[in-house]
Amino acid sequence: MDVSQYLEIFLDETSEHLQNLNTQILSLEQEPDNMDTINEIFRAAHSLKGMAGTMGYKRMQNLTHDMENVFSEVRNGNIKVKANMIDILFQCLDALEEYNSNIRESADEGTNDNEPLIKQLNDILNGGGGGDEAEPAKEETKQSESSVSESGSDDVPKWQRCVLKDTEAAALSEALEQGKKVYGLTVTVQESCILKAARAFLVFKAVEEIGEIVYSNPSAQDIEDEKFELDFSLIVATDAELDAILAAARNVSEIESVEGGVYDFDRAVPSDENKEEARPASETADEKEAHAKETAVETKPAGTAAAKTSVAAQSAPADNKVEKKPASGKPVVNRTVRVDIEKLDTLMNLVSELIIAKNSLVSASTSSEGGATSEVNEQIEYLESVTTLLHESVMKVRMVPIESIVTKFPRMIRDISKKLNKKMELYMSGEETELDRTVVDEIGDPLMHLLRNSADHGLESAEVRKERGKPEVGSIFLDAYQDGNNVVIEVRDDGNGIDTEAVKAKAIERGVITQEQADNMNEKEIIDLLFNAGFSTAKTVSDISGRGVGLDVVKSKIEALSGEIEVKSRLGEGSTWIIRLPLTLAIIQALMVVVGGEKYAISLGSIQTLEDISPSDVKLVQNKEVIQLRGVVVPVIRLSEILDITSEKDPEENLVVVIVKKGDKLAGLVVDELIGQQEIVIKSMGKYINKCKIISGATILGDGEVALILDANSLI
Amino acid sequence: MEELKGTSETTQFIVINLGDEQYGINIKYIDNIVRMQHITRVPKVDPYLKGVINLRGEVVPVMSIRLKMGLPEDEFTKSTRIIIIKLDQQGYIGIIVDEVKEVVTLENDQIEKVSYETKDEKGNFIFGVGKCHDGLISLLDLNMVVPENS
Repeated sequence: MDVSQYLEIFLDETSEHLQNLNTQILSLEQEPDNMDTINEIFRAAHSLKGMAGTMGYKRMQNLTHDMENVFSEVRNGNIKVKANMIDILFQCLDALEEYNSNIRESADEGTNDNEPLIKQLNDILNGGGGGDEAEPAKEETKQSESSVSESGSDDVPKWQRCVLKDTEAAALSEALEQGKKVYGLTVTVQESCILKAARAFLVFKAVEEIGEIVYSNPSAQDIEDEKFELDFSLIVATDAELDAILAAARNVSEIESVEGGVYDFDRAVPSDENKEEARPASETADEKEAHAKETAVETKPAGTAAAKTSVAAQSAPADNKVEKKPASGKPVVNRTVRVDIEKLDTLMNLVSELIIAKNSLVSASTSSEGGATSEVNEQIEYLESVTTLLHESVMKVRMVPIESIVTKFPRMIRDISKKLNKKMELYMSGEETELDRTVVDEIGDPLMHLLRNSADHGLESAEVRKERGKPEVGSIFLDAYQDGNNVVIEVRDDGNGIDTEAVKAKAIERGVITQEQADNMNEKEIIDLLFNAGFSTAKTVSDISGRGVGLDVVKSKIEALSGEIEVKSRLGEGSTWIIRLPLTLAIIQALMVVVGGEKYAISLGSIQTLEDISPSDVKLVQNKEVIQLRGVVVPVIRLSEILDITSEKDPEENLVVVIVKKGDKLAGLVVDELIGQQEIVIKSMGKYINKCKIISGATILGDGEVALILDANSLI
Repeated sequence: MEELKGTSETTQFIVINLGDEQYGINIKYIDNIVRMQHITRVPKVDPYLKGVINLRGEVVPVMSIRLKMGLPEDEFTKSTRIIIIKLDQQGYIGIIVDEVKEVVTLENDQIEKVSYETKDEKGNFIFGVGKCHDGLISLLDLNMVVPENS
């Protein structure tokens, strides 16, 4: 089978499963007896194995198979979860990760058999005293059987309880006469399966290759429309053996279980009344048939005919299921489409063009004096609201929760904790905060670096912590939240904080600054030295952090994303790294202003208020201009000075001040004139002009002119 | 210079005027030639970077080759043009020239490479001199003219 077209899906799904396994095994480490977790792990491992098998990755399949065996034993209570077992499992995950990345690069899983790991897994199996492989299998069947019997009214398997129509019964007897065998099957799809209908279809296809499906419950049409719960039953006429059919059905991935047996005609319909009722039904009409079905439902509320039963009848087996296998953290399944990010970029560009065109229309209609009628204006306003909505929805499509990158951090911290022999705990919040896809992809590494930094340099060893009266276990926090047009991600630890004296000494030693400079530096300036290239204060170089490339890379990466990073630290109490990232990268709402005859845009997100200030209200404090604004002293920045241009305004006139904020800091920007609010498309100015920190980009106005976008954050 | 390899090959250059001198720009780097238009000044950058323009919806930086080469400031006239060039792996950049004259095709043996000793301040920007029917053309080394990506 050519599977290359599924490769991408396989890779994505494998990563998801691996991530899930990582998370679950971590929580297993905390609560070794949690059955939900164990079941979830088992399911994920099983799906992985199935997928790897389908794609023909034998080594991956072997490894997952052995992992699955271990989980299966754990699930059956034959093996207890131990610390060393968790370690081995994590190593297995790493090995799987390696297969996955090999496949991603070369479509080949590589040649590493990971035999030591497989051996260790087998040791666990044997050492755990958990019998041979047959046992879990038996156990499993028993369990599923019991689930059937619990949900059904008697212990007849579901497929045996199918109600056959005359034609179907006739077809079956004919098949029997031809010497074929008739089997019944009940296939249960995994709860987490997203495309149940597709899986069912694959089962149909697999079974039809070796036999003829005479009957299915629910009907093939209903199954295709996904009108079934988790299981469906088939009656098959075939020359093949039962095992072959069962195997064919089990080979389809995401199938929980397949049970089957010889279909017994004498027990075909549970009761005689039903038989009698069903027979004439075929002669008369649909009405009677429907009636027969109703009766059938009454006698077997197992959910096989669920599509047509009432909600109550549906929920009964569902509850049963939940009791049997409590699906903790069952994913809320959304209908999704995977889209190439490039296509989205194209779409985004087109939306940008549309907005520019709309802006041109707006400026054309306002400039032609009285030329535009109110109707035109109305239409333009309509166009404006449509383009805004269009832009917002395209933006939203590109937004993904940062969850996708932060979920790997608990595992990382655990590993570091073991490696450094420091006790630490990672607390995360705001994983659901959304950011543009491109930003999310890029921010993972800087965050990882900061976390490692906190773990390695920030947190003290347990003894020191004890001495200082802190809890032995260090805490690292990762908090994400939205703040206006920015998303803020904070990495915080309750460790030692930054020792400014040590930083200073190091900087002097490395020749970054001179003694003289060092004496004149304030605390913040010293901390900023950490972002200097090649600066590392750890006394010993460990492989976790301190390889020379570090915070400077973090900083430049964040700045490349138009974000910024800030550090707050208190010696002995810990440090906080604050990363601010723009929510959107492409289109923003901005206030257009004029300074010295030039037009500039200021992002509306950073603007607090607009003020009209009399020149006499501007006071000098330490030779810097400030104003009093509702009791707060706000520094005043004259944009004309910063932008090297002469203001065209009479200095006697009132000042137009745009109050901008960054975090809790405010500043007043003095401009000549306000033009108004406008939706602008941010264009990069290219690589040649990027030295100017106060300009974050450019935009094209309605009249085709280029206006620069002021980065208010860098001015404060 | 790749185009110097082989003897019988030819290279096309666009001949421009800067002051009294003629310069040649290899045509393969040229994306477009546009008329002088409003340039939006960008503050706090090197003086030879004049600003940015709107080129079919893209924002493109524009530099003054005169200032870069230490010549007197540009005077914008009717014949002033902006040549949009694109070097390999880099973005677009516009170069302001006094006038665009013609396209010449030079055989490789018509190009004389400038030896390093003769390079003066202005010579740094030139990789060779082309001989052509109406005199000599200094051939611009765009990698030297265009600022480094920072």
